[in-house]
This record gives sequence, C-alpha cells and structure tokens, in this order.
Amino acid sequence: MCRARMLNYAPFIWKTLEVPISSRSAETWEQTPPLPDGHYVNGRVYHDEQIFAEEREHIFKKIWHFVCHESEVAEVYDFRTVERADVPLVVTRGDDGRIRTFINVCSHRGARVVMDPGGNARTHTCFYHHWTYDTQGTCVSMPRPEGYANTPVCKENMGLREVKTEVKWGFVFVNLDDGSQPLDDYLDGSLDIFDEVLPHAELEVFHYHRAEIDANWKAYQETIVDLYHEFMHVILRDTQMPAASMDDRQMRTYANGHVTIAGIKADYEKYEGWVDRDDASCFPGLESDDARFAPLFPAQTFITRGTVMRVDTVQPVTAHKCLIESRGLGLKGESSEDRMMRIDHHNEYWGPFGRNVTEDAFAAEGCEFSFGKGAAMRGIIARDEGGKGQGDSGLRGFWAEWSRRMGRPVGNPTND
Amino acid sequence: MSTDNDAVRELIYRSCCCLDEHDFAGYIALCAPEFRYQITLFSPELRKEMIWLNHDRDGLKALLDMVPRHLVRLGALQRNATVYRIEWDKADGQANVMSAFSVFNIDNEGRPSVFAVGHYHDTVDLTGERPLLARRNARLASRDLGIGSHIPI
Repeated sequence: MCRARMLNYAPFIWKTLEVPISSRSAETWEQTPPLPDGHYVNGRVYHDEQIFAEEREHIFKKIWHFVCHESEVAEVYDFRTVERADVPLVVTRGDDGRIRTFINVCSHRGARVVMDPGGNARTHTCFYHHWTYDTQGTCVSMPRPEGYANTPVCKENMGLREVKTEVKWGFVFVNLDDGSQPLDDYLDGSLDIFDEVLPHAELEVFHYHRAEIDANWKAYQETIVDLYHEFMHVILRDTQMPAASMDDRQMRTYANGHVTIAGIKADYEKYEGWVDRDDASCFPGLESDDARFAPLFPAQTFITRGTVMRVDTVQPVTAHKCLIESRGLGLKGESSEDRMMRIDHHNEYWGPFGRNVTEDAFAAEGCEFSFGKGAAMRGIIARDEGGKGQGDSGLRGFWAEWSRRMGRPVGNPTND
Repeated sequence: MSTDNDAVRELIYRSCCCLDEHDFAGYIALCAPEFRYQITLFSPELRKEMIWLNHDRDGLKALLDMVPRHLVRLGALQRNATVYRIEWDKADGQANVMSAFSVFNIDNEGRPSVFAVGHYHDTVDLTGERPLLARRNARLASRDLGIGSHIPI
C-alpha cells in the first residue's frame, strides 16, 4: 500500500510510516497491521492445535453438512458411508423411501459396521459379533441374546444412533447436533442463488473424488471465496475476468457465514483449445456463460457453470491436512452425448486433471508451507469493492462467523 | 506393418519418457491421427465408471501446449511402466497392449511419493512404418491423487 493511501487509516498508522522502506524489520513484520479488526487473519488459526481441536467441537459438530446427493442412494437399501467431524456415518434409503443417517458404529463394542463406501443392503451386520441392523437403525438380530437376560441389553434398545437428516433439492445434509436449527434456517436463503435451477432439474452425480492435501482446511476453503486470486488461474484470466464487468458481480454474505457470488460470466472459447458452450445444453435457468458460487460455512461449496455443477466439501484431518471431496453433477436421464459433454466441461475446470482445482490445492499447500510452520504472521483480507469485483467481503464474512462460533477474534485468536 | 514386440514396448516406454521430460511434441508424435486418450476408473462410492480426462489428438495437444502457462505441482512426475501383455490383431493391423504403471512424484527436495497406480490399456496402430498409439486408456487403480496434475498420466 502506498503511503498516501495508508493515511486513510489514520488511527492505525504503521509506526515506521515516515521511513520509506521496501522490506520490513522484525518489529514491523510482527506488529498488528494498521487495519480494522476482521480485515486480517492471525496465522495461528492455521496451525494452532488447540484451535484445531475446538473447531471440531464448536463448528463441525454443530453445523449442517452436505454428505451426498440423493442419486447416490437412489434405490431402496442403497447406502453411502462418509465421515463428518471425524464421525463415521452411513446414509441409507429405507424401504419407506426415506433417507436416514446413522453413526456407523455398532451399539455393542463400537466397531465400524458398514465398510464399503457405497452399496445396497437390506441389513448391515457388524463383522465383530454379528449384531445386525436394518435401514431404520433398528437392531434386528444379536446372536445368543439369552446371555443378556439379566441385563437391560436387548435388541429393542440397542439400535444405531440416528443423525438429523434433511434433503433439499436432492442434496442430503446431516447435523450431528440434535438441538440444531432446521436446515433452511441454517442456510438463510444462501442456496436461493440456484432457485431458478435446482428445483427444476433432477440431477445425478457422475464424478466423485476425494483428495487429501497438505493444508489446513480453511486455507483451501478460502480459495473458493477469494475472488482476487483469479489472477493465479490462466483459465480465469483468459475466460472469466474479461468476460463481464467487475461491476456486474454480486457478492453477498448471509447469516451463519455463507456467501454467494453471482454475475460472473465466462467466454470459454478464449482459452486455447476450448470451445464455446451451447445454451441449448445448459441446466434449466442458466445460460452457458453463467457462473454462480455458494460457499457455505464452514467448508462446502455449490458451483454451477452453465452446463455442469460441482459440489465440494472440505473436512479437517489434522491442523495441517484436509480432505477434499468433490462431485460433478449432470441431468438425470440425459443422452450419452450430453453426459459426455458435461463430463468434458467438468474436467476442463475440475477434477484431479482439471485446470482450476489443482491450482487451488497448490495455493492451499503453498500457504500451509508458511502458515503451518508459523513463518507467516497473518493474511490480509482488506479489499473492499462494495460487494463487486474482487473484494474480500466474502472472506470477512467467513471469518466473522468463525470468530463468532469459536469465541476468538480472528486477528488475535489466542489473546496474545 | 511392424509386428515386432520390441517396437511396441519401445512405443509404450517412449510415451512415458516424453511425458516425464515434458517433451509434449514428442508425445503427440507417437499418436496416430485418430488417437483418443482417456483416464478412467471405477468409483466404489458411486458404483459407476468415471472418466477423468477425455481428449482426441488435437484436444490433448492443446492441453499439453498450455501446460507451461499454468501453475503446476512442484517437482517432477516419473512414470514406471511394465508391458504385461501384447495381443496382435493382424487382421485389423493393430495390437492391444496392457501395461502396469506407477507414477511417482519427486518433490523439489528429492522426496518420492506415489502419485498414481494403474494400467495402460493401449491400442497400437501397426499399419504404418512405425507403431503409433491409436488409443490409450489410463485406467487408474488409485483414486486419491492429492492436488492432481495438469499433465496426463
């Protein structure tokens, strides 16, 4: 920042303002930036083990998590296993058609019950002592029950622990907190950015991958909300930044830390080797050059790009590792030609060989290299473009919610 | 028509070397005009086949031509392939070749890690002076590729 502009922050003048410098001393490197609270992030949030442990309790065990799309459990008895907040879960469709979620742990001795990532089974039998559960979580069989005759242990009170589950527009969400607010209250209308699309389209997942990367979960999620980093991506420099006015963009923040970004356009043919996308093959309610983003707090993202949709979640693994799950979605029942077109469009940007996601992961790992070892003091999130362009209001919304839930100011999270 | 097993093996190994060395023009020169490249795998989560990359020769050339402009993973990928089976189809002037591959990432500090494991299922065009790749399906057995790669397997 130039000296003249720094004067706008009169209460926060850097101590060495009068000294023209290009590099910084230890003192100026470490001192609190001349910025308002919430406009910078202390680096400890990315590597402090106590903060990491508290995030699991105060955030990930309290919020609604996207776990899968209903097309992944399309048939009666279909199931998917996932983990959220380190808790193993099994999502299954019962013979009444309802999707339920259970903690994937046997009521007997705590062993994992369902091993496969997906499948179809009328009942699930624990490998250890053969206790068996149905798709409503009821324990329907335990071998030699007479051994518990003098105890309260019986099939009737040894069911699986059910987890709150709601389905919105085919997306299955769960919440480990039985006292949590309803899903729609939690979302606060943030997914309404897709209300011309998702209620009118029956979707199907065609792409799934998970990848563990060497980065704190927040560093990856920040790449979704941070529009300023468009400069990092060749495809966005070529196709997105010149395609529409920065003033047409609308970044909005919601209760509970959610963010939406609309008004972004892309001229895909501007990237060498790519062709334009056809309006006729778009999702309902979208134009081929239209891009919409809904990064939901804390780390789940819904994105449409005209012809294709991506949904990501990021799970903390350690303070220095996170697990990204990524799905690509098309229209159920579409022709094989249309499906192949959507797969190609998905893979141009996303997936492990895409031109976009690999670079976001690179960025997160690049930040981990310095924040993870405590070398970087803080991140600056002070850009203000009035909710347009490449402003940081979404990042500030994310961090404000993080501070609220953690009870820690993001600029000084350990009260040093 | 070449019917030399060694020439076919040489083609497979040469294709790995070209990608390892970022000799993308050399790689494309190994591909027949009708070349089709795919990376495929089965998802046990979705219980479906997936396609993670799908290009014809021109599309793959364009993709590789753009690599230098991108922010790519640090270090280098090194492909280790072993040709397991060559099945000659002389009537159609081609061979179907199955090879195992392991791809290692060597980071900037020289530390190796496994990036991907799988099999190449190649169709080799034998009608010309030298064998050419007519189709490559890089069939992944591993599914977690970390940050991924701009360069195909």
